[in-house]
Amino acid sequence: MIKAGQIDKGTALLIKGQPFVCIEREFVNPGKGSAFVRLKLKSPATGQVLSETMKSQDNAEDITVEDRDIQYLYNDGENFTFMSTETYEQLEVPMASFPDYQYFMKEGETYRATFWEDQVLDIIIPSKIVFTVAEAEEAIKGDTVQGATKFVTTETGLRVRVPIFIKQGEKIRVNTETKEYLERVNG
Amino acid sequence: MFDFNAARKRSELYMNIRKFFIEKDYLEVFTPTLAPALIPEPTIKIFGTEFRNEFTGNLPLYMIPSPEVFMKKLLAAGSPSIFQISQCFRNSEQLGDIHNPEFTMLEYYTLGFDEMDSIRLTIEMIEKIKVSEPEWLSKEPLIITMDEAMKEYAGVDMEKAEDIMYLRTEAERLGLDPPENESWDDTFNRIFLTYTEPSLPADRQVYLTAYPAGIRCLAKQDGRTRKRWEMYINGMEVANCYAEETDRAETEDYFMKEEAILAEERKTTGDVISPADPDFPSITMPESSGVAIGLDRLLAAYLGLKTIEPLLLFPLSDMLTFGKSRQSE
Repeated sequence: MIKAGQIDKGTALLIKGQPFVCIEREFVNPGKGSAFVRLKLKSPATGQVLSETMKSQDNAEDITVEDRDIQYLYNDGENFTFMSTETYEQLEVPMASFPDYQYFMKEGETYRATFWEDQVLDIIIPSKIVFTVAEAEEAIKGDTVQGATKFVTTETGLRVRVPIFIKQGEKIRVNTETKEYLERVNG
Repeated sequence: MFDFNAARKRSELYMNIRKFFIEKDYLEVFTPTLAPALIPEPTIKIFGTEFRNEFTGNLPLYMIPSPEVFMKKLLAAGSPSIFQISQCFRNSEQLGDIHNPEFTMLEYYTLGFDEMDSIRLTIEMIEKIKVSEPEWLSKEPLIITMDEAMKEYAGVDMEKAEDIMYLRTEAERLGLDPPENESWDDTFNRIFLTYTEPSLPADRQVYLTAYPAGIRCLAKQDGRTRKRWEMYINGMEVANCYAEETDRAETEDYFMKEEAILAEERKTTGDVISPADPDFPSITMPESSGVAIGLDRLLAAYLGLKTIEPLLLFPLSDMLTFGKSRQSE
């Protein structure tokens, strides 16, 4: 048990038997009232987001989580399939729980994941990932304006705005938070 | 990165505030930020430090959470209407978003005003001191009573809600789970914070008036409500106001009860707690209304920001190393 006031972003809680992860936390002090916290909690199983307001002194049931490495294999449009790098067992994670994560899942790549027992609560995406350009628009002929850009699509289906000199088959580094092109990677 | 444009806007805002009040004949005052005693307020956590002197010995001192104690003493002593821009300090606040443990408060007290007069003054001021033309400023401010807001957004009838059993049943109907024996205030706030406050219009100034009398404070009682309001801009709490309590017996009683709550808390929490100002309960306030505005938040609202951090040249969260590592995660 922990006090609601100790819940932070990333804290995993059990609510009515279901695991939730805190994604937003705000302290609120209503005028002349006790301290409260406003929480946004996400269910990794369903992607459902709950809003909860608790008194800082209320008890909450926290759960112990553990980080493990998992290797991404593939997705079938409904589930991601990973393999544990320790036990080599395969596990499925509903894609609905991690919207847009497919754009950052590279086959064979290892990701750090937060587990509660056998359930994946969070998948940590590195802040920068190198992708291969799977499709590139042809730059418009005669467009020599400096700083001109075009769109390319990576092997994971992510569309990124890049400088016009980037060609199909080349590797680019992308900021995963902003989905912005950072640089061309040689070799 | 320092935002010098925002720094200039802040300077402009303070200049406009001074001009606004000085033209209306308010006296600008400068009262201490460091004090040996404060008004007992169990809901506010404070910072403590120590005065060291070989003649007096070591004496605890406290950073003010607001200049209220000093400004009210000036009014009781016969000052004209007064205003002040001061640094204030609150402990155990969140780091970041719309919070910083050190922040700037504008406080103004008008003689002969009640809380509704203060609404008119505040609306006029917000327009006159503006440093930009945000969308919300073009919309008519909403003035709504707590009774209306609780009915509209939570379906709770505040006339019946004086009865704690009704309030508890309402909380349960709304899917909240108040613990047994929870105080009236806490159950009320559970409903208010979950349903009412988040539903207030977030595109204009909202003045939420006539708070339940059950929530005690130094605002005058008016039947089952108190003459106080809180003001929100874009859903962000920016100001609060009282028609100031003028009854000395009421003030003394409030002071003693709050002090007793603090003394009880001191035993269990280990929080920094200042002595209660011994002179305060015996002052008699003139008929007046006081408003306190968080200036960092007001500036954020003018500039269309959802957090105050870009406006602080040195936010505490950045200066603390763990704050930094959390940000770079």
